[in-house]
Amino acid sequence: MPKVKINGKEVEVAAGSTIIQAFKASGQEICHYCWHPGLSVAGVCRLCMVQIEGMPKLQIACNTEVKEGMVINNTSPMVKETVQWGLDFHLINHPLDCPICDQAGECGLQDQYMQFGKYDPQMAEAKVKKHKVIDLGPTVVLDSERCILCSRCVRFTDEVSKTNELGIFNRGDRSEIGCVEGKPLNNNYSLNTVDICPVGALTSKDFRFRQRVWYLKEADSICPGCSTGCNVKVSYNEEGLWRIKPRENKEVNGHWMCDTGRDSYKFVNLKARLLAGKIGKRDSWQDVAVADAARSAGLKLRETVEKHGADSVALVLTGQYTNEEYADILKFFTGTLKSKNVYHWLNNPEKVNEFDGLLFRGDRNPNTKGLEAAMKNSGAAAGPTSGKWETLQSQLASKKVKVVLVAGPENQATFPDLNEKIKMLQQAETLVWMTAGHNATLDQAGSETWQIPLKTYIEKAGSFTNFQGKVQSFKAGTTIVPQALTLSEAAMLLSGHDIDWNLRPKGLGGPKTNYSITQRGTL
Amino acid sequence: MSLVKRPNATAEWFLPGIIFGLWFTLKKMLWNLFNQKKMPTLNYPEEKYEYGPRFKGNHVLTVKKDGSIRCTACMLCATNCPAQCIKITAAESNDPSVEKYPIAYEIDVLRCVYCGFCEEACPVDAIRMGPEWQTAALNGSKFTYDIQQLAYRPQLKGGIVSVLDEKERHQAGI
Amino acid sequence: MEIKLLTEHYSKNEFQGLDGYKKNGGYAVLPKALKMEPKAIIEEVKASGLRGRGGAGFPTGMKWSFLPANNEPRYLLCNADEGEPGTFKDRLMMERAPHQLIEGMIISAFAIGSKKSYIYIRGEYDYSKAVVKKAIDEAYKAGFLGKNILGSGFDHDMDIYSGAGAYICGEETGMISSLEGLKGQPKLKPPFPAVQGYLRKPTIVNNVETLAAVKYIIRDGAAAYKKHGTEKSAGTKLFSVSGNVVKPGNFEVPLGISLKDIIFNICGGLKPGRKLKAVIPGGSSAPVLTEAEAMKVTMDYEALAQMGSMLGSGAIIVIDDSNSMVDILQTTMHFYHHESCGQCTPCREGTGWLSKIMHDILDGHAEVKDIDLAIKISQQMMGKTICALSDAAAMPAISFLQKFRSEFEQHLAKTSHKSGDHHHA
Repeated sequence: MPKVKINGKEVEVAAGSTIIQAFKASGQEICHYCWHPGLSVAGVCRLCMVQIEGMPKLQIACNTEVKEGMVINNTSPMVKETVQWGLDFHLINHPLDCPICDQAGECGLQDQYMQFGKYDPQMAEAKVKKHKVIDLGPTVVLDSERCILCSRCVRFTDEVSKTNELGIFNRGDRSEIGCVEGKPLNNNYSLNTVDICPVGALTSKDFRFRQRVWYLKEADSICPGCSTGCNVKVSYNEEGLWRIKPRENKEVNGHWMCDTGRDSYKFVNLKARLLAGKIGKRDSWQDVAVADAARSAGLKLRETVEKHGADSVALVLTGQYTNEEYADILKFFTGTLKSKNVYHWLNNPEKVNEFDGLLFRGDRNPNTKGLEAAMKNSGAAAGPTSGKWETLQSQLASKKVKVVLVAGPENQATFPDLNEKIKMLQQAETLVWMTAGHNATLDQAGSETWQIPLKTYIEKAGSFTNFQGKVQSFKAGTTIVPQALTLSEAAMLLSGHDIDWNLRPKGLGGPKTNYSITQRGTL
Repeated sequence: MSLVKRPNATAEWFLPGIIFGLWFTLKKMLWNLFNQKKMPTLNYPEEKYEYGPRFKGNHVLTVKKDGSIRCTACMLCATNCPAQCIKITAAESNDPSVEKYPIAYEIDVLRCVYCGFCEEACPVDAIRMGPEWQTAALNGSKFTYDIQQLAYRPQLKGGIVSVLDEKERHQAGI
Repeated sequence: MEIKLLTEHYSKNEFQGLDGYKKNGGYAVLPKALKMEPKAIIEEVKASGLRGRGGAGFPTGMKWSFLPANNEPRYLLCNADEGEPGTFKDRLMMERAPHQLIEGMIISAFAIGSKKSYIYIRGEYDYSKAVVKKAIDEAYKAGFLGKNILGSGFDHDMDIYSGAGAYICGEETGMISSLEGLKGQPKLKPPFPAVQGYLRKPTIVNNVETLAAVKYIIRDGAAAYKKHGTEKSAGTKLFSVSGNVVKPGNFEVPLGISLKDIIFNICGGLKPGRKLKAVIPGGSSAPVLTEAEAMKVTMDYEALAQMGSMLGSGAIIVIDDSNSMVDILQTTMHFYHHESCGQCTPCREGTGWLSKIMHDILDGHAEVKDIDLAIKISQQMMGKTICALSDAAAMPAISFLQKFRSEFEQHLAKTSHKSGDHHHA
């Protein structure tokens, strides 16, 4: 393990590391655009130049291997001047697009520019004009003028997604990124190129122009899209969630995430959510406070069990809740109600073991393994419902099961047969459906139904168990619907206990309306 | 030692104070009566104050030469505004040389403190503080000005043209 | 003064074909070399002091000895891209003496243990490509290429590959990229081509003239080769002289000859009534020499390096006082702007910036401070890039602007449209 001195600070790195990795290990800053820890070395931006004692010329840090006893620095005046001119060279043909560029606020060129204070450009020539607003595929838009030709996106499509869609065409300062003939950028990992692009050349069609990044905060979480459990960070503000980006985790997802998982913010925002408890049936819904809905549903469950026995109620669980929530709801069901009639609703049993080779798995639930373990621990009937749905259906048909308690999927898009299953479950006399989002089929209930709003993955703390059995815990990021319950809180209320309403997080408030209008009196 | 001047016995009589106050008011009133031209008061609405050229009045959103809104929805004005009274929704334009433009631009003028920070922050001369200031209205009126009101109100006669034109800038090669 | 070592039989038309070549002593060295040990050939080349004739001047024998042992297969690449402006020596050899090149290549390939070699000919050289292809076919038919050459047990295959109009493919790793079918962009070094080159295998890249010289070194011995030239720059060199001389062309002379000799004796001097202004000694990438410097310098690697220039590819461009240095520099900068591959930022943007500044200076839209700006840009482009094109663009800019600054300032004063106006189109 060679030891090197970086700017006077000693650090030990693995053999074969490059200087830039040593910089990262030592926690010191070094400018770089084309190097990325998840991609091969290109060495084209020439900004990571460092001075190595004993070598007269500056060397690039990303391709120079560390040797024992190297003394490296990047703070000397020569290095500073070189990096400043390197930035200059990047900026001379860069368009003045900051007002319309999505990268503003998280742009490497902007940050470096402010750091150096290069307010007076020396370039007085006409800039090179290239194509703008080019459609690269269904998800990504390219602006060639902003591109600094770091080739990260090209290396990504070559090495990570292995789809080889992007290339650099023309040469010199006329070079442009483009799609290879007949191959639009159309794979399930295309939006990672937008993440790794250091400037606003590649922008996501989904996020384009919707929000400025300095209005957003970030929270760490785990993607609920499939059983891989990629580590993500969610950008949000008081109006809701805006986008999801991957976080690095060497064991689970490396540096990437798939495009499907990036849609996991849409079902969290207010538009898709259930905002109040609803009791009733088609055309006669009553909006009630969430706590009241839960309490009355709990009362109904307990009464049914008292009158008709433990087998007259059934619990249907989907694999989209946290381990802690499963423990609590099963404690309520098997403990308070003393019923073992628990069903694991797996939406796509035939696709569960599918894997696309990189990250995306066929099991679209983040916590299937956690649910199976929780059901086994609680002694309830365990195992996927293939073969068991018929049991539930016959029990419903024979009116043996009168009340069904369902913890429905919060990510309704991953359950393609959701509406059919809802119709099937609506055969029960009483349906207590706990879910985060509203659903039209549910609103058409023929029999008495409770709808209880729940919190989504970003609003609660907990842990998911991924397909490997790795338990990944996460904290609550933000609260979109403060009145919604977590499944644990719902279990408490259903069992007749109360929860401490003061300890619950308040929301950020949703889109602001100007209070001054509402608070003014009348003349 | 106390630094507070304690009132002496005379001052505790309020009558001298009252008489002095009344006398002062009378003196001013008589002076105004006989020197009406020198009074600092303007008889609004017959007389109006002439503000300087840099007066910060009602906002004006400038337009380009072809009449479309100059603003590129960069949100610097909304970010810089100390009263947080500007709300902008951006959208993609069908014209690729324009690319970004606001489909909704609202200023709540009852929150606005007319500081002019938005005009300072704008990089493309899209918003200016114009010379108008007489916009009193009743309580039911719309006090949230939208693009129609800010850029195309009748007083602006079709829109104030911005100094900075994107097409000219692109052609100049910047 | 002129020595006819490599160019001995150029004037004979028959030398192009196999029979004419053999009649004039061709393919006589090959059997001798095949009987030697490969290591001995490398030692001989090392002892001869042969340096790369393509521009870098790296000792050839030393380059060959960098090959790692036990790493098969190895490749020999002949760099016939000849992109350096002003150079046309390799073209003449390929057109007039292709078999000389082929024989030299087979000997070199035998020395380094390579079973496959390529001749990378620039795309514009249609006639050279056709001639060399025919020569290779003839060599195959005669048994000088292919399996078990002359019964020695050594197999060798040779092929030509056409470039497509990129100066950057004359850079060794650019050429390797182009041969691999990728975009002709240079690769990061390390790893060096001798360790990981074409198809990640050990590769030696040599210039046409270098490989042809190997044959003569083996024929006459290292000592005979060392007799020509100087102590550190041994042997003969083909110089391509062009510009304002009476007799431009290719001339083979020993290294160490004075530049004055070449211009005024061999090439017949300048046209009547003209005065010498400047000489570019080694292709457009070499820093220019003023008249005073040119009259003092000898043409070898050390003397030119000491004078602040370089021998390069040996393309001598003679400039007299009827030419404007501003014009020449603008053309040169335009060339580098056009040819930059665009990988690394300093070169890609810097060549464009320099080209635009030169354009403005030529058109009279610039000011004196732009000269200093151009020098500063060039200084910042040097030493910061993957390959040497950036240095090749920067060095002429710095040398022209520094040594002929007064001419540039006069030009600006004459053509400036509005004084003090810094308008750019």
